[in-house]
Amino acid sequence: MIWSLAYLPALAGQAIWALGGPRGRVATLALGAAAVTLALAVAVGGRTGAFAWSDAIALQAALPPLAQAVAILVPAVLGPIILFAASHEDAAGLPRLLGLMLVFTGGMELIVIAADLVTLLIGWEIVGACSWALIGHKWRQQAPGLSANFAFVMTRAGDLGLFLAVMATFAGAGRVGYDALGALDGWAQALAAFGLLLAAASKAGQVPFAPWLFRAMDGPTPVSALLHSATMVAAGVYILARLHPQLSGAPGFAATAMVVGLGTAILGGAVALRQGHAKKLLAGSTSAQMGLMIATVGAGYPVVAVLHLIVHATTKAALFCAAGLAQGVTGSFDLKDMRLGRRVPVAAALAGVAALSLAAVPSLAGGWSKEEMVKAVEHAGPFWTAAMVIAGGLGAAYATRFWVAAFGPGDDDAPAVPRGEIGALSALALATLALSALWLPAVHDPVASWFGIALPEGSILGQVASLTAVAIGVLAGLRLARTGLEAQSRDWLGLPELYQRGVIEPFHALANTFARVDDAIVDLIPRGVAGIGFAAAGRLSRADDDAIDGLAPVAARRVGRGAVALAVRSTEALASLGAGIGERLSDLIPTASGRLTGMAGADLRGLQTGLAHHYYTILTVGIALAVGLMNFGG
Amino acid sequence: MLTLAVLIPLLAAAVLALAPVGAGAARWTATGAPALSLLALIAVWAGGGEGFRAVSEVPWIPTLGIAWRVGVDGMSLALALMSALIFVAASAWPMELHHPRSYYAWMAFLAGVSIGLFVTLDLIIFYVFFDLSLVGMYFLIGRWGHGEAQHAALKFFVYTLAGSLLILIGIIVLALNMPEMTFDMRAIIDSPPLAAAGMVPGLIFLAFVVGFGIKTPVFPVHTWLPPAHVNAPGPASAILAGVLLKMGTYGLIRIPMQMMPETFARWALPLAVVGVISILWGSIVAFAQDNLKRRIAYTSVNHMGYTVLGIAVAGSALGSEAARQMALTGAVVEMIAHGLITGALFLVAGAVWQRAGDYHLPNFGGLAGPAPRLTGAATLAAFASLGLPGLAGFVAELHIFLGTFAVYPWLGAIGLLGILITAALFLRMIRQMFFGDMPKERAGFTDLTGTETALLAGLLALVVLIGIWPAWLLELIDAAALIPALGPGG
Repeated sequence: MIWSLAYLPALAGQAIWALGGPRGRVATLALGAAAVTLALAVAVGGRTGAFAWSDAIALQAALPPLAQAVAILVPAVLGPIILFAASHEDAAGLPRLLGLMLVFTGGMELIVIAADLVTLLIGWEIVGACSWALIGHKWRQQAPGLSANFAFVMTRAGDLGLFLAVMATFAGAGRVGYDALGALDGWAQALAAFGLLLAAASKAGQVPFAPWLFRAMDGPTPVSALLHSATMVAAGVYILARLHPQLSGAPGFAATAMVVGLGTAILGGAVALRQGHAKKLLAGSTSAQMGLMIATVGAGYPVVAVLHLIVHATTKAALFCAAGLAQGVTGSFDLKDMRLGRRVPVAAALAGVAALSLAAVPSLAGGWSKEEMVKAVEHAGPFWTAAMVIAGGLGAAYATRFWVAAFGPGDDDAPAVPRGEIGALSALALATLALSALWLPAVHDPVASWFGIALPEGSILGQVASLTAVAIGVLAGLRLARTGLEAQSRDWLGLPELYQRGVIEPFHALANTFARVDDAIVDLIPRGVAGIGFAAAGRLSRADDDAIDGLAPVAARRVGRGAVALAVRSTEALASLGAGIGERLSDLIPTASGRLTGMAGADLRGLQTGLAHHYYTILTVGIALAVGLMNFGG
Repeated sequence: MLTLAVLIPLLAAAVLALAPVGAGAARWTATGAPALSLLALIAVWAGGGEGFRAVSEVPWIPTLGIAWRVGVDGMSLALALMSALIFVAASAWPMELHHPRSYYAWMAFLAGVSIGLFVTLDLIIFYVFFDLSLVGMYFLIGRWGHGEAQHAALKFFVYTLAGSLLILIGIIVLALNMPEMTFDMRAIIDSPPLAAAGMVPGLIFLAFVVGFGIKTPVFPVHTWLPPAHVNAPGPASAILAGVLLKMGTYGLIRIPMQMMPETFARWALPLAVVGVISILWGSIVAFAQDNLKRRIAYTSVNHMGYTVLGIAVAGSALGSEAARQMALTGAVVEMIAHGLITGALFLVAGAVWQRAGDYHLPNFGGLAGPAPRLTGAATLAAFASLGLPGLAGFVAELHIFLGTFAVYPWLGAIGLLGILITAALFLRMIRQMFFGDMPKERAGFTDLTGTETALLAGLLALVVLIGIWPAWLLELIDAAALIPALGPGG
């Protein structure tokens, strides 16, 4: 039952892809599949499952509250995105797009229900492969294919961390269940914890893996919306939160998670602030927001991180839909060309709700969960809190700038009628509004107790600092949206260029060198051996005629009749079928093996009488014969 | 039953060689014969049992301990089943041929000797089949290949023949050192000779490793492989990669690991290092290839490197028994998975050659438009080959790495880089072939025919099945029974 959460959307997606059909039917089917998945996620809470591969490896699934919350989130966000895709994307290829999005969802659900590291790894890589196919959806163009490959290889580099974690857990505990992970100690524990952190950081677009999120922007907008909200990047945060009890004991784990998370939050914020491309601005913001959540996990509050993950998912999906809608009006993602407030007022208002939530303005959902994260990080110390406050200010600034640049009131008021995208946008914006109820104690207290935790307590000073930073950020964002800052910005602080120059190009050069070495030098082995062997074989075979064949002609004949007879007869018979050159070659087998077997027969007696040196002679002669034969290959 | 599985294809070969039948009939004869062998093998599988089963023995040269002995354990049964399946697919693969009758005769002959190699329990018979497989493949490449087929075939033949002579020497020495001379594999496995340390067992081990290493192939004796593949017809490539390469790793398990376990344990680390070098070298060199078939061929070096690594770990006598079993399970699954996956990839390459007459990757692009089925099959096979979970290659590589890491952590960690590089090279290949703009000269490129689609779908369905539910295969292989009992440290 619990497994159906993963395979049902995956199978439904493949069926939808295979069936195809007109826009309406495909969208209805996909929405239906998402709805069923959602119902399943609600229904199967608390269940477990196991699927044995062998005595040593059994795939395990479980759905504790934290996992169930994310399991519900994924199809819930998928639904509006399907709606958006169905009205925004070309009809050609839509079945493939929606089908793959459902398979992708299935992979994500597998990550969510996993209760052992192998199951996790399976879901983890399936999600990566689906994202490859989704980013490269428009395969006739050059860029998406290249970007898809870049994204897959980059995230797989991080996946090696998960491989290491699985290997270390098996080596340390002999099992791969999550419980075994908690039982580790010493180097196995460290390797497992940091391996998982590496894998999570790559999926969640943390520094230094962040650039793949920018490249992923070559995919269709609905894919970005899904990838950046409830799947893929969310997987990185989710798994750290899910495994926090098992990982937190590893020395240095918490501090490293906070350094990575807060570092990415600040750098990603700066990147987003300087971006002129609407989707890339949001992509930089995703890295930053995931960074805040990872830092919160590091501070010891995984549930708070997951609450922000849920809020962020609805917010970010809405903003991506809004960006896609704006691009549909202007024809590009360039923020300079937008300012669509007067042309699409309804969309602008809905996007405004999401932008304010992303900016963490109080009374909106994002404001609540972000302040909870600030309180959580306060427990780790003032230094971390300061970084968190700064990152929050940056968040307020880029969110404000995005909305003003994209949906601020412009000069043009010719009404542009966006198509059905508005429905998807309203659903997601309304979800954000609904989640804002978390500000009420009557709502957040039961939620916390359902998760079985107490929400963090914070200081007045921390709250004041945080809210001041948000206010300053909003003002700065307003100002930046007017002046523009993006001109000189390189993608992700030059990291992609660094990879190009420092990794990709050197690797190409290395591979080409190795290939030349392989052709020119490694291949010399047979040629060189043949050359040396030619001379040696001649001499040795003369010696062997004199010394050995003379010893035991009887034995040689006997073996020749036996073992070799089959080879002789069959190869001769077969050779007659073949071409001329083949016949000569086939003859080599009986000749060579006859000689060797003959010698062996002779040596049988030699060994039995203690003449061990004959044995070495056989060996030498055999090798000499072998290399002599290689002459034919030269 | 097993004798039947060997004889049917050989008889079919004889019939095809002598009887004047048409091309269509020849194709169906060559397809039907391994299909019957497959049924016979499935019957043996259904019969169940532990250890060597379906054993039968006909005395031949009792004085030398040579006999027609057949019997299978889980590993050899799994490999024989896979081989028969690959032969069915390769023979049924539609081809435009000159002299079709002799082509199919050689196919059937090769099917017989390949299945025979996996089911025999006599070392001399093993050796004879080992060499005869070279003969069959030599003619398939030399006569029906393209480009410099003659030269490639000759290089393949002589290189691997040289290796097989080393194997013969080793076999004879093993037999001579038994209390009573015998070539019976079971007897030698039960009481391994040459247990003492010293030069002789070391040299014999070296002879086996070099001999089987050439066939496998591992770095640095792999250079016969790319030209042989490039110039071979697609189905022959599929057999070469799918079946013939496995003879090397099968031999490595059956003979040095099971018959000289002490020596193997002493030399396991160097062998594991060779495996890791093959993993990295194969994948890095593959990355730089612009020729479709050379690229796939070098990934074989990479994948067989995983297998050799798993075998070396299994025979190392280090770490826990569970870890060694894990590594050996992985190695055998890798053989099956690589056979199916790379077999499919080479059939895809054959389909491309039949349509375009070209393997140069930069000359391709955008084929996803006219050939979606080909794209789908190639993409699935490529993802399987790069070890995507849910497909067979992952099950193999996961087991190998789990086992390796528990025994040689550093080698396991370094070997992991291989899966990253294979990901890069296969994705690059997919993009170059199928995405982006389609060059003008590819206009009129047609998709897979019904037969081609069905054959590839069959192979790939098995890849998916093993990837999702490998329990039946792991149970069949039963790696625990393969590992020789040894105290820690040998």
